[in-house]
Amino acid sequence: MEQNKELSARESLALINETLNNSRQEITRRSGKYLLLWGILLTVFSLLVFVLWKATGKPYWNFLWFVMPVIGFIAAAFLNKKETVEMPDNAVSRILAGIWRTFGVFAVSVALFTIIYSRANVNPLGTVASVVNLTPMILLLFGMAETVSGVAVRNRAITVAGFLTGVGGLIVCYLLGSMGEADGMLLFTFAGVILAATGLIVKRK
Amino acid sequence: MFPKLDPLLHSELRLAVMSILAGVESADFTYLKKQTGATSGNLSVQLDKLSSAGYITVVKGFKGKMPCTTCAVTPAGLDAFGQYVTALQEYLTAGK
Repeated sequence: MEQNKELSARESLALINETLNNSRQEITRRSGKYLLLWGILLTVFSLLVFVLWKATGKPYWNFLWFVMPVIGFIAAAFLNKKETVEMPDNAVSRILAGIWRTFGVFAVSVALFTIIYSRANVNPLGTVASVVNLTPMILLLFGMAETVSGVAVRNRAITVAGFLTGVGGLIVCYLLGSMGEADGMLLFTFAGVILAATGLIVKRK
Repeated sequence: MFPKLDPLLHSELRLAVMSILAGVESADFTYLKKQTGATSGNLSVQLDKLSSAGYITVVKGFKGKMPCTTCAVTPAGLDAFGQYVTALQEYLTAGK
């Protein structure tokens, strides 16, 4: 695009369309890379916790979950540094980042709450705290985040996958009664695969 | 009577720059260069013209030790861009 040539009306509109679309697609593709990263991490960590929990019978391996965001943020920073050209934000990338950051904050907050009050066994009002099951709550939050992501990138497969993970995961939890058990981790493996698939779909869009 | 097309936008490179900036919060020089395929010199000249017209803001700064030029479209630029697109559509509709 070296020539500053004058364009016909049709050429101008075609140029606007092409430029806008190329830019939008490239930025959205970059968001897909990070979804893929978190999907792979979620799959690996859920399998790791499942195997260790199952082998030892001790639920303390769940503390490994707190290592995942640390590795994730370091890996994301590394991927970002590898970019030769800094990508700007558009509406879709901002919405996706907002959705998953919100999910992260909610998930970590709920996890911390559960750990603190499950150990204390009484809440600040002095009544006995009932056991809080983390797995269905996180799955529901995850499913909502995934569904809204699907709506944002206008992809029906992602939207349906989010619904299946959230609502389907919740139903499976109650039907199998495996909440809080090692087997429940496999639902997170499913969620991780769905998230990684979302990243791939967004990347190839 | 057709509306007059904004001569500042009716140029391939400036129009491409405005189209990119209309869809993002801001973009740095290297991104614009990559997306348009323009040379640094030509792109700088066209960015200056758009900036002088008040269509974009150009902020020169540093990212670490590297110089970084960030461009963003202004409300006046978005307005001009919108009017330009409307005018183009009128031209095409009348031509049918």
